Amino acid sequence: MKTVIPDRLQEFFIGFTDEFEVKVPVLTTEGERVFASPFDGPPALSGGALAAKPTAVFFPQQDGVISIGSEGLLHASSAKPLFVAGFTPRDLLCLRFIDRFFAEGYRDDIYFSRRKGALIAAVSGFSGASGGFVPLSGGACDLEFVFDGAVWIVVPYSEPGKRIAARIPDDAADDALAALLEKSGGCVDEDAAIIQAASKLLLNEMVPDRFWDSVAESCIQCTGCNLVCPTCTCFGVQDWRYPDRVERSRMWDSCQLEGFMREASGHNPLGTEGLRTRRRIHHKLAADRTKWGEISCFLCGRCDAACPTGIGIVAVSRMIVERFS
Amino acid sequence: MKRTFTVCPYCGTGCMFYLLSDGNRLVGVEPSRNHPVSRGGLCVKGWNAFSFVGHPDRLTVPLVRKDGELVPVSWDEALARVVSGLRSVQGRYGKDSIMFASSAKATNEENFLLMKLARRVFGTNNIDHCARLCHSSTVVGLAETFGSGAMTNSIDCIDKADLIFVIGSNTTEQHPLIGTRIINAAKRGAKLIVADNRVIRLARHADSHLRHKNGSDVALLSGMMQVIISEGLENRAFIDSRTEGYHEFAESVREWTPERAASFTGLSAAEISDAARQYAAAGSAMIFYSMGITQHTHGVDNVRCIANLAMLTGNVGREGTGVNPLRGQNNVQGGCDMGALPDLYSGYQKVADPSVRLKFEKAWGGALLPATPGLPLTLAMNAAARGDLKGMFIMGENPLISDPDQAHVLAALQSLELLVVQDIFLTETAQLADVVLPAACFAEKDGSFTNTERRIQLLKKAVEPPGEAKADWEIICGVAAAAGFYGMKYENTSGIMAEIASLTPIYAGVSHRRLPLAGLQWPCTDADHPGTPILHRERFSRGLGKFVPVTYRPPAETPDDAYPFVLTTGRTYFHWHTGSMTRRTHLLDREENRAFVEMNPDDATKLGIKGGERAVVSSRRGEITVFTKLTDVVPPGVLFMPFHFAEGAANALTNNELDPESHIPEFKVSAVRVRRAG
Repeated sequence: MKTVIPDRLQEFFIGFTDEFEVKVPVLTTEGERVFASPFDGPPALSGGALAAKPTAVFFPQQDGVISIGSEGLLHASSAKPLFVAGFTPRDLLCLRFIDRFFAEGYRDDIYFSRRKGALIAAVSGFSGASGGFVPLSGGACDLEFVFDGAVWIVVPYSEPGKRIAARIPDDAADDALAALLEKSGGCVDEDAAIIQAASKLLLNEMVPDRFWDSVAESCIQCTGCNLVCPTCTCFGVQDWRYPDRVERSRMWDSCQLEGFMREASGHNPLGTEGLRTRRRIHHKLAADRTKWGEISCFLCGRCDAACPTGIGIVAVSRMIVERFS
Repeated sequence: MKRTFTVCPYCGTGCMFYLLSDGNRLVGVEPSRNHPVSRGGLCVKGWNAFSFVGHPDRLTVPLVRKDGELVPVSWDEALARVVSGLRSVQGRYGKDSIMFASSAKATNEENFLLMKLARRVFGTNNIDHCARLCHSSTVVGLAETFGSGAMTNSIDCIDKADLIFVIGSNTTEQHPLIGTRIINAAKRGAKLIVADNRVIRLARHADSHLRHKNGSDVALLSGMMQVIISEGLENRAFIDSRTEGYHEFAESVREWTPERAASFTGLSAAEISDAARQYAAAGSAMIFYSMGITQHTHGVDNVRCIANLAMLTGNVGREGTGVNPLRGQNNVQGGCDMGALPDLYSGYQKVADPSVRLKFEKAWGGALLPATPGLPLTLAMNAAARGDLKGMFIMGENPLISDPDQAHVLAALQSLELLVVQDIFLTETAQLADVVLPAACFAEKDGSFTNTERRIQLLKKAVEPPGEAKADWEIICGVAAAAGFYGMKYENTSGIMAEIASLTPIYAGVSHRRLPLAGLQWPCTDADHPGTPILHRERFSRGLGKFVPVTYRPPAETPDDAYPFVLTTGRTYFHWHTGSMTRRTHLLDREENRAFVEMNPDDATKLGIKGGERAVVSSRRGEITVFTKLTDVVPPGVLFMPFHFAEGAANALTNNELDPESHIPEFKVSAVRVRRAG
């Protein structure tokens, strides 16, 4: 079994910075945990899901699409492949979901320009908020950092993951990992049952419009729920004309905005706050379930944490189940 | 990718966030969970605050008008032109023939320096900023009653209040994260009273929604106070121990029976009595107000009434209480604190006080400083229109779109012999200028901003300014140097703050070193002082709180047969002031990309106007064409227009009538008529 003690994590990750662009949760001077270079601060793998969505590494808030200058099309230079550590097992499910989304139909080259060749490392074990237990991922990543309360057990899955782990000598028996795996199997997630139940009620059209209107009363359209959601993929596009070039870029959009679906005629199929609020929840729990065969909320908890008025997806799902079951 | 922890450039709430940059390009925003104001959230403007910074319209070089055209010049030439122009005007028309307009978008350090430039280098107290247009009524009214014209309590107090009374503040749109705290308070069971004749979002959460007539606030508040006194609900112990002037005040409201107040406000007597009883019964009650109170010809009287109401019930100086004016711009509190005001130095020290002047004279190199208070911004514009003011230096303001009676403002600005505009975009005002100085925006400089709860917070530079643009403080120091004054050389903005602290008692303990993460709330009187979340705890800033009797006055212009509608103006959630930043932000401009007027559907039916079509709105000052938005948010007889849109400028219609004490314009009540376009 391969382990890294917490005090050596920064050095460990810095060791890969020649080969990769390494992104890892670090602690800022303001005490926030953010995805950044290991040079930017001490690693902070523990603490649960980061506030920002980890998929932003591949799909940032604003991103260049194309730049056309007087000398023709300008391409962004290629960077080193990414090595991103810090996905919770739930984040991995989100990543799998949007990988499929961006690959199907028109493959999103901009997304895959970063995603292709990227190493993904999960974080689990006693690494949740306040030291809570996070069940192990089961391998949907290249490697996993599992905290047993004292050291980080490094578990490689893919060949690239094994090459990373190969830099760590075996230093302990596998008993600790086996115990953590066993503990993972016994974890029950109450929130999962809540959104599954809410999903069924939505699919069976048991939730009336007046409910959505009442939830929407508290929505100030901050758009935070969408912008922190790892499975939200909508974006808008803008063109800026500089004296020497035209730049097209794209930026995260939000279905909570009135302009999101407004047609040129002025008609808007999501023309009320209630309809837009319904759309946010219904899309994840019902529409995606119909289209992709699964709910596209994987309970990362970010929208519930970011919503200033407490109407994130789990909170709303709980209301639905309490009122309409 | 780099993260820079800094302050949002929009409203006075004072959220802090991380700006994400890739090289010299901003690429996003991340909220902060640890910041005491934002707590992991942001509003839509905050989430998009990075977006306008790299816009191709940014000013990148100084411009000087030559042969009628603005042409690029060197900084040296531009600054020389500014100094020679201002000196020439002063030489011919006197020192007070020029005006400096500072900016609530600029940092504390920059406001302090422009104040110093005006007073020390150019020898005039003619300096003011847009607080004149938003909370000058508060500064006058609360200084008189409490001794300090700032929000008495903190945003966190919302979590402790038993009752929240919001009057004249569309909080979820204008101070969104504060609005959400109020929504959450209502959800946990706090009583919420909203007084606003528009059905704002908070009204949907309110226990009582009072849709009183525009401009009838004094009647409403006097009626409430009459009920409290006549029913013996006042807080005698507080009145006796903490206040003065009660009996004269009580006598003044005796006539304001709820029935009489009802006849002025359009409410029922029962609504007024009920609101009064709820407010008086609360163990701790907060009042929040904003432009709906201040932007009237009786704005100061409105503020006095609010102060009287809070003192009457003892709702001052404790957690979950207070009189809480929500400051609009991100640094309008700081602009006032720094003395960008015609009668005050930093820290509200009076220009007219010889000992104060002596202190500043000693610190600034000995020259005598002007003793007579200068012109408020609105009176300066009037003076320019009359031909009595000949030069104007405007930093980060766009009065052609933001000030009342656009035709009047245009005539005033065009009459100037010298107009200098320092800004980040070529605004409508800048297009009229003789000299345009390109400035760095919030993301491109260091300094500090002071939010609505008096929290001084650190602004940090994330990227370099475009082209040759410079931070406002660097430009101001450049003007001073070009004028031959060498007492304005600073290595950095923390050096400027050190000077501010040395001259400003309420900032005496402030240094940039002490500001990371949560900042400090003034008063902060020495290096060990922890700051002051709640004012007036043991005593009011002036000693005893002062009840001030108020006499009702109607708005300056009321509807008549020719102009039968009341027009009230303001902001919307998606845009900011004159739109120079938000209309260059893709998602925000997409949400609202055309000038509009809100109209009640009943009025529209009577006039044969449909929703979404163009209508002509006219007043005695002007006429504009805008799109209609039919909504029950406004009552019949009332129109609402935002002032963000140059192509349908609401201020072409507004009335340049001023409060006699604060000189704030009456943006909230004008008489207009409306007809279908075409």
